[in-house]
Amino acid sequence: MSDILIDDRIRDWVFLPIIIVMFMIQMFRGLLTKYMDNKKTTQKVTSKAQVGEMIDKNITQQSQRLARLHGLLPDHSFKMKRAHLCDNKSGILTKASEKPAKDPMQSMSMMNPAAMADMLKQNLSGIVFMAVQYQWVSYFFSGFVIGKVPFPLTQKFRSMLQRGVDVQNLDVRYISSISIYFVLLFGGLQKIQQLMFGDDNDEFVDDTQMQMQMQMMGMPTMPSFGQQNDPGKLFIAERTRLEGVKHSFELNKSQDKAIKSLKRFLIQ
Amino acid sequence: MEEPKVELDDLEVNQERLKLNTNQLKNLRVYGSLNAGMIAGILGMDGWIGIGIYVAIFLIVSACLAIKMNFRVKEYFKSSYDAYYSGIGTDMLLFLMIWVIFHNLVNIL
Repeated sequence: MSDILIDDRIRDWVFLPIIIVMFMIQMFRGLLTKYMDNKKTTQKVTSKAQVGEMIDKNITQQSQRLARLHGLLPDHSFKMKRAHLCDNKSGILTKASEKPAKDPMQSMSMMNPAAMADMLKQNLSGIVFMAVQYQWVSYFFSGFVIGKVPFPLTQKFRSMLQRGVDVQNLDVRYISSISIYFVLLFGGLQKIQQLMFGDDNDEFVDDTQMQMQMQMMGMPTMPSFGQQNDPGKLFIAERTRLEGVKHSFELNKSQDKAIKSLKRFLIQ
Repeated sequence: MEEPKVELDDLEVNQERLKLNTNQLKNLRVYGSLNAGMIAGILGMDGWIGIGIYVAIFLIVSACLAIKMNFRVKEYFKSSYDAYYSGIGTDMLLFLMIWVIFHNLVNIL
């Protein structure tokens, strides 16, 4: 099959502009996220229900930290802390687990102003850009073949890759311009952006990746809403977890660990 | 405020240095994919040979990393699987993108 050679002007006015524009928009989105992060101020906890939620969150954090790092505490200290949380009559977890399940509508309305604004901002900066770029590419650059993919594909991809081109016998390898948009989008302009931005700030890299993942998954804050529905069950689960912890103080094992590390260094 | 997650087993490992190392490895892999894409595109490789070039360059990058570390992987990363083989699928999309772009620029357009 002889190759189709495509006019120089398509390269100058279609191929390169699409790549350059998408790259610029990606960089712009990165700067925008950085700017929004800087402007984010801490939210004041004002209403009583919010104070209650913060207390619950702190209690769960405390019990989780105890369950995770129990090896750092000696025996009597761990037992005291565990009794403070799990005691049958006066432990914090037992008292907290007797609270009634909260009305889901009420708890959602309390969180709304703060969390919804953040969600809206993240969604805006992601999906709007994607939609605008798609419309731009498909409006201006539709109806002609722009390039060729180097690997063989089946006929099923024809409708996706050759949108707007109605020649039936054309090899599936020849693609229209909207498929370049998809290749660039999924392929990872993000990675190249990370190369340029990621060196100064590690947290920034995590934000963009998390953003993309959250857009893909749809509802980002479902887990936290689920927890608000029934805190009693959560506390009961935490309590059973704490009571089942087999505690051993790491200092007792420290001599063996030191011998192991020293051996590793000395032998090399 | 989120507190940093510390597990008991990780207390033997210096967390910040491990993070720096992993970041550097990620940058290195991205450069490797970019180069592989350019080579495959400019030389006009077709189909499975191109993917073979990507795997070959990936392994060459891993080999250079091993030589630079003097083959002592445990001092720099958590395991040899992490350092050499782990990210091959995630960078393949980047390779495909660069391959398509350069193949079109050089051979067809």
